[in-house]
Amino acid sequence: MNIGGYILRRLLGLFPLLLAISFFAFVLIQLSPSDPAEVCIRVNAMTPTPELIEEMREEMGLNKPFLERYFDWIGHAVQGDFGKRYVDGKPVAGEMAKALPPTLALAGTTACLMLAVSIGCALVGVLFEGRWPDLVLRGFVFLLTSVPAFWAGLLFIWLFAVHFDLLPTGGLEGPSSLILPAATLSLPYIAAYSRLLRASMVQAREQNFTLYMKACGRSGGAVLRHVFRNSLQSSLTALGMSLPKLVAGTFVVECIFAWPGLGRLCVTAIFNRDYPVIQAYVLLMAVLFVVCNLLMDVFSALVDPRLRERGLN
Amino acid sequence: MTKRLLALALCVLALACTSLAYSAPKTEIAYASTKDIRNINPHLYAGEMAAQGMVFEPLVMNTKEGIKPWLAESWDISADGKEYVFHLRKNVKFTDGEPFTAEAVKLNIEAVLANAKRHAWLDMVNEIERCEAVDEFTFKLVLKNPYYPTLVELGLLRPFRFISPKCFVNGQTKDGVSGYAGTGPWILAEHKDGQYALFKANPGYWGEKPLTCAVRWKVMPDHQAILLALQKGEIDLIFGADGDMVNLDSFDALRRQGKYATAISQPIASRAILLNAHQHFTKEKAVRLALQHAVDKEGIVQGVLNGSEEVADTLMAPTVAYCNLGLEARAFDLAKAAALLDEAGWKLGADGWRAKDGQRATVRLYFNSQNAQERTISEFMQGDLKKLGVEMKIIGEEKQAYLDRQKTGDFELQYSLSWGTPYDPQSYLSSWRIPAHGDYQAQVGMERKEWLDKTITAIMTEPDEAKRAQMYREVLTYVHEEGVYIPLSYSRTKAVHAAGLKGVEFGLSQYEIPFEKMHF
Repeated sequence: MNIGGYILRRLLGLFPLLLAISFFAFVLIQLSPSDPAEVCIRVNAMTPTPELIEEMREEMGLNKPFLERYFDWIGHAVQGDFGKRYVDGKPVAGEMAKALPPTLALAGTTACLMLAVSIGCALVGVLFEGRWPDLVLRGFVFLLTSVPAFWAGLLFIWLFAVHFDLLPTGGLEGPSSLILPAATLSLPYIAAYSRLLRASMVQAREQNFTLYMKACGRSGGAVLRHVFRNSLQSSLTALGMSLPKLVAGTFVVECIFAWPGLGRLCVTAIFNRDYPVIQAYVLLMAVLFVVCNLLMDVFSALVDPRLRERGLN
Repeated sequence: MTKRLLALALCVLALACTSLAYSAPKTEIAYASTKDIRNINPHLYAGEMAAQGMVFEPLVMNTKEGIKPWLAESWDISADGKEYVFHLRKNVKFTDGEPFTAEAVKLNIEAVLANAKRHAWLDMVNEIERCEAVDEFTFKLVLKNPYYPTLVELGLLRPFRFISPKCFVNGQTKDGVSGYAGTGPWILAEHKDGQYALFKANPGYWGEKPLTCAVRWKVMPDHQAILLALQKGEIDLIFGADGDMVNLDSFDALRRQGKYATAISQPIASRAILLNAHQHFTKEKAVRLALQHAVDKEGIVQGVLNGSEEVADTLMAPTVAYCNLGLEARAFDLAKAAALLDEAGWKLGADGWRAKDGQRATVRLYFNSQNAQERTISEFMQGDLKKLGVEMKIIGEEKQAYLDRQKTGDFELQYSLSWGTPYDPQSYLSSWRIPAHGDYQAQVGMERKEWLDKTITAIMTEPDEAKRAQMYREVLTYVHEEGVYIPLSYSRTKAVHAAGLKGVEFGLSQYEIPFEKMHF
């Protein structure tokens, strides 16, 4: 089977998976103890009288049977209509579309920063293995792993925005606003990836193929490139999960830096019990995780011929 | 040549120094809020009240000095108290150029009435029989009964405020509006959902014009980040009630720093604990009265609220209309509380807890987990009750779950904050009759709850001032005697602002921010 067929097979496998996820998302929301009609009234600061609750239930179609409601919802969802927000009646799809670009910009910048710094740290670690630059970096990375995002974020604001007055404290005010949130978000990932990559490279350096390359008289740079490429597998798999996480789970950082992204939209919706937003978010994230996972599998297969042969056969 | 160059360089340097020394005064106030303004349709409840109040105006205004003419210059009330004739101010225009006339008032009032179920909390909506535009600038409102808080409720921040009829969608406002053209001192010039809203001064405003050109309402969800932004000078003002914008510790720290100006309003609302008369243990009146003496309010005010609030002896402050009743203050007295519990049969056991008929004296106090202040107050109370031999479990719940619990009445103790002026006492008491409110659930176990609800209903349409005052006295005295509320303190609104910002004052209600009086 060629790689095109492999991708097609994986794509076809996605549909039942996504359908199952959408169903569970819908069921879980229905199991919530709060009545959506009442929640909708309350988040609009109105008094939930029995008459109003009944009217709202009718308006929201909550009196229909469960399966009918599910198929209504999924039918509209595949056409890009996720219903309306309880809070202000605006279309969920439109609000998510507005929140997506800032989140993607933040996630993209974070990913670039994290890859650049992680690779740099890993290379230093490998080149100076066991010597002081390696030890200092390992210590620093260990420290980064232990720093919670909210604390690092506030510290960055205090240092770079207030004390040195170099950057804005938050908001979406041009490219400079991206620096602090992206740096905050990337800290734990830098810690994880530089350790992972360093460990893989140290291991690969001791393999026979490296010894063979050295024995053939290849230059240090060529050997290092080869070692690097052979060490990417584990990091790529982890990256496949990290990228959607960056899009899904940036709430704390988005709050601290007043970043109008998806994480904030969803967590605000959770606090308000804004079910249409939560359902759409769960579905979107499921798609994102599954697609990213698939992309990383394909990418891994492309960079590693052994995997390609194993996977395709 | 060299001399000329040197002279030129000196001139440039002098100019640069001048421009550095002279910085134009700021003309835009940056205000930080954890919440976006959202949908500020004045006839709905989805938007921030302070923002609604900036753009939309009422016929009459509730002020510290009482009700004052606003978009209506004067009014006449019929002898039976059922007809109100308002004489409107002339030459007032909505910001889209539409004239403000009696017809516009009528269309707005009818738009509110068309959505009456959404306004169930406000009796006024059900009391309106009809309204008419008598002539271009005379508007008549006819009521079913002589509803006494009519003028106060017409002056509230919502829903009786006026939006240009051009903004109506299909002749209504209940399903949304196409714009936000009001008659107020501010125009909503720009709104980026979840980021900021920019209000510009209305150049054609009929009244006293705002003292600054614009207000930027910045959305910053994190409280610590707001404080850092204030420190950097990115924002000029933090303003809010009940610790929602700035918590008391930060407020106190900023006040002591002296770098920023701080201001605190007069007592504005009542902070209390509800005691559920329909639950095990607290259903006994003697128990509720004992608990009144078991809470060290002074300790809470000084220790938790940093002395920024006033100890409350009664549910409503004596300064609230009809509430200066001279009700007995219940002082912190653990010995008295213990005696009352002993008398009621709740005896102290060897394990340090009180019990009766094999059941331990236990209460559950629920609070909104997002409010750190409520948690601290709860812990303070937990210590007091432990000394008395009453076990108190503190349960913080996420806001919607907390509100769900209010409706079910599944609590012994719960937090309660009155709506403050000008809603107190009429709207707050009125809400006691609605089962979805915690107050109703806590009171439902009282012997005369039915009488209480009926009397509150009757108060609203009692035309005789003296009789009304007497009815308020009866209702508030009964609730006080039943001990279903432990009054804690009278809360205040707080403001922290840049030293250069002047004219920071408080409105009558905790929900409004008088930006038009602020300037640099």
